[in-house]
Amino acid sequence: MSAEADLAGAGQIGTGTRGRSAKPGAKRVKGATLWFWVFVGPFTAGLLIFAVVPIIWGLILSFFESQNTVSPQHFVGFQNYVDMLKDSAFVDSLKVFTIFAIFIIPLTFALALFLAVLVNQITFMRTFFRSVFFLPTAVSYVVASLIWKQGIFNNDGLANHVTSGLGGSDQSWLSSQHPPLYWIPLVTVRLWLQLGFYMIIFLAGLQRISPDLYEAAYVDGATPGWTTFRFITFPQLRATSIAVVILNLIAAYQAFDEFYNLLGGANYGRPPLVYLYSTALGTSQQYGLGSAGAFILAIIIIIFTLIQGRIFGFGRTDD
Amino acid sequence: MTSVDAVDQVIEAGAAPRSRRPRKDRPAGTPKMVGARGGAMRAGGSVFRWIALVIATVLFLVPFWLLIRNALGTDNDIGSTSFFPRHPQWHNFTDLFSANSDLGFGRAMMNSAIIAVVQTTGSLLIAAMAGYGLARIPYRHAKLVFYPIVLTLMIPGAVTFVPSFVLMSAFNWLDTLKALIVPGLFSGFATFLFRQFFLNFPKELEEAARVDGVSYWGAFWRIVAPNSLAFTSALAVIGFIGSWNAFLWPLVVAGNSPSSYTVQVAMSTFLTAQVQHYPQLFMAALVSILPLVLVFAFLQRYLVRGVAETGIKG
Amino acid sequence: MPAFNPPISRRSILSGAGGVAALAALGATAGCGSGGSKDLSQWYHQYGEDGTKQAAMRYASDYKKAKKVGVKVQWTPGDYATVLSKGLLGNKGPDCFESQLNYTMVKSKQIIPLDDIIDPVKSDFNPSDLAPNTIDGKVYGIKMIDDPQIFYYRKSMFTKAGVQVPATLNDLVATAKKLTSGKVKGIYAGAQSDSGLSALTTSAIFASGHTNLTADNKDVDYDNDDVAEAISLLHQIRSDKSVLTGAATDWTNPQTFLDGKCAIQWCGLWAMPQIQKALNDDFGIFAFPAVGSKGKQVVYNGGWTQFVAAKSKKQSKAKDYVKWLWIEQSALQEDWSLSYGFHIPPRKSLAAKAKKLQSGPPADVVKLANEHGFGDNPYWTPDVGQPQTDAVTNIVLKGKDAKKELDAAAKKSREALKKQ
Repeated sequence: MSAEADLAGAGQIGTGTRGRSAKPGAKRVKGATLWFWVFVGPFTAGLLIFAVVPIIWGLILSFFESQNTVSPQHFVGFQNYVDMLKDSAFVDSLKVFTIFAIFIIPLTFALALFLAVLVNQITFMRTFFRSVFFLPTAVSYVVASLIWKQGIFNNDGLANHVTSGLGGSDQSWLSSQHPPLYWIPLVTVRLWLQLGFYMIIFLAGLQRISPDLYEAAYVDGATPGWTTFRFITFPQLRATSIAVVILNLIAAYQAFDEFYNLLGGANYGRPPLVYLYSTALGTSQQYGLGSAGAFILAIIIIIFTLIQGRIFGFGRTDD
Repeated sequence: MTSVDAVDQVIEAGAAPRSRRPRKDRPAGTPKMVGARGGAMRAGGSVFRWIALVIATVLFLVPFWLLIRNALGTDNDIGSTSFFPRHPQWHNFTDLFSANSDLGFGRAMMNSAIIAVVQTTGSLLIAAMAGYGLARIPYRHAKLVFYPIVLTLMIPGAVTFVPSFVLMSAFNWLDTLKALIVPGLFSGFATFLFRQFFLNFPKELEEAARVDGVSYWGAFWRIVAPNSLAFTSALAVIGFIGSWNAFLWPLVVAGNSPSSYTVQVAMSTFLTAQVQHYPQLFMAALVSILPLVLVFAFLQRYLVRGVAETGIKG
Repeated sequence: MPAFNPPISRRSILSGAGGVAALAALGATAGCGSGGSKDLSQWYHQYGEDGTKQAAMRYASDYKKAKKVGVKVQWTPGDYATVLSKGLLGNKGPDCFESQLNYTMVKSKQIIPLDDIIDPVKSDFNPSDLAPNTIDGKVYGIKMIDDPQIFYYRKSMFTKAGVQVPATLNDLVATAKKLTSGKVKGIYAGAQSDSGLSALTTSAIFASGHTNLTADNKDVDYDNDDVAEAISLLHQIRSDKSVLTGAATDWTNPQTFLDGKCAIQWCGLWAMPQIQKALNDDFGIFAFPAVGSKGKQVVYNGGWTQFVAAKSKKQSKAKDYVKWLWIEQSALQEDWSLSYGFHIPPRKSLAAKAKKLQSGPPADVVKLANEHGFGDNPYWTPDVGQPQTDAVTNIVLKGKDAKKELDAAAKKSREALKKQ
């Protein structure tokens, strides 16, 4: 995902290195090698052991049948990958992610921007409101799931009190399929937890818009409100907006906590990571199959990343 | 959200704008609020604005209200419509730490505290050093180190949890604090962020010191580190919250033995337990967020800056 | 970027270095939590009844007094099955543990045969408790307790609604609907988000006159019209809105029933003392009713079995302990079966003198269990069973076509069967 940004930076290290090593002469560079490894060595060693080795091991496991053990047993070639892609539950999990993304991304975007604009416009009690909206960022998905599951969407929870207060009947919020009400708890819990974070990002974006742009517009006869938002604020937030959408998408792809804690082991509303978790680490302990699934997901997300990089083209035009 | 995610998000947020805006456009510190220009507010818009703010505030606070009410209630209060328990059960708090509680809450809090503190300080130290080395020390093969970092950044941490679990299992580290702390010490994202930060750090001071014979080590600790504290503490706050609230990885590697439960895993486990005492669980949840609420109360400025500065300004 | 005023002194960053240095020590102490000790490690799931945890720990300390071998009890709330599977994989798993036998555990060499310790008393065990724990002639587990599962109902609610104890599953559907009014639901069978009725699946299949696996364990027996009818009726209960969902406690805990939130609850014999104490005579029990032309009423006889882990480095010590507790100490076995929740002792000698189970509603349950009981099948492994579980959720919750779903699931189950 961040590769594009990195590539821009990677160019800098090249020039930086060359520029400096030219000056002080060969002797300096010799000492530099030692110092380089003093500074970068611990990190490199850790990355090798805890990121590279697992990836290689997982890759090997994914070509083996390996149940109830994490050492490869029988070589099966690409069978695990085929099984995984043929598994309707795995494909369903990708659909669940898609539906979730369709709900959560536009809602987060619109509401976070709305809150940011509101908070940005007031002068009185601004810190108070910003703190209120930002505070849920400190709460974990587990705590929020507890509140949602046993405080709001349980049998005699707040949601049913509200529906019966409005003359409706009690609902099974977490299991109803017709209509699929379980999306309401799932989407609202994430909104509550993350809106504040994205609001801050939008706020920072808003504050970076030059006041001159507005002044110029007023001189031209524009009035504050929708017009200036539409023609100045929103276009100026383009870069921030893209970042917010992509951050959201990646986070949604990795959704696990609230699905796991709100829906438990149910076989609906199971996003990719929850399905992967139950395949590899549930009672059947299919590590070969689980590793294959992990690599399929990794490939999908890398493709996503690259396509986004292409479409939005960031990183390439670093001044 | 894991700590890696948090840093990830910051870096992502930073990626786009950096490419769009020339650096000179960015004023340091907190810029003036644009929308607050004098006299621009109109009465109609203002009323709408305040109604919206109040409604949003109520909606955002309702979950906190439920959390507190249920934490101080009895089993019967939980399904009730009362605003506050008539007889607040303060003993729910002390019960949490009593020997009769299956929750093992004290132990879980201790584990989470150790993990969050060690992981935050350790990972920042390692990342700051690596970032400095990559940004400043001329080494011919630096690219060979840097490109693999870029590659691992592309694979989201959560997707590799199966292979990483396998490794922890091979190390016999399952259900130990080691498995919870050590893999999290090597954050590619934090390293990348530090590298970017140091690339923008004025060289003159260091170079003057280096001419005076100060080693890279000395320059890093005496000149660079003291001047990076605001940046570092912003990352630290984000990292601490991510570490404290992490769920998937602790569930995967430490979900088997109550002695290694983190506070999140303990609460999740009891959410599906056979025996339920919800007020106690809500009380546990309330206590579990207190450290972070304190962080918010005292460090929110840095947190907000962390998200905004490291995020939006590269 | 300009430097801000440093909010934290430089010392705190340096203390970070100390933190890393302390890490090795930390890791080391955490490492010897359970694995490194001399004590045996014994795992239980979390029993709901008061006093059970203390009892389990008391047995362990009695053993220490008698044999000078310490036993560390792990009491496991939440998803015990997953915790156990992961535990058996690593080296920090239990030395002995309770579970239910499935063939995969034997195939992947997770447990060892216990014939030598059970042989002397084999004839005292109820045959229905030996069979599910025997694979290829070897006994792998010692049955600790039998737990028949049945419906409890509130007599007063039945009288008020003018309904009788249902004789068939169709009756149950209609009865539950009549009993539902406002906040009080007809039936409660689980808080899991799947359907609220998944605990009934196995009983429904057997009540239709079929089983999960054929007698030779080579094929599945749930893809037929009778089973489809049974599962469809479960869907009927759900779509009638006669089932309680989103309750605070799961079906294994009688609290929801005691609170009067439902007229009928699926639960087990274990809850009997608690229910008797709270409701006196205002309750009754019935078995899972028959469904379809070949149907019959059935009682699923669950329970827990003790195993010794193959990975244990203290196998013989663990065996000695299992032998002591679950073969020799009949007083403790009696205590475990009858002093907290009620369970039927698998030993004939103990069952014969279990006074508490010989009169009133407990005796009714025991009688039903003896006449209509069925137990677990070790060849019905998680891999084979999973497609069925998914299919049942699709039918009950999503209202999909029962026969089609079961056919598709059976195909997957057969593939899994072939692999094992």
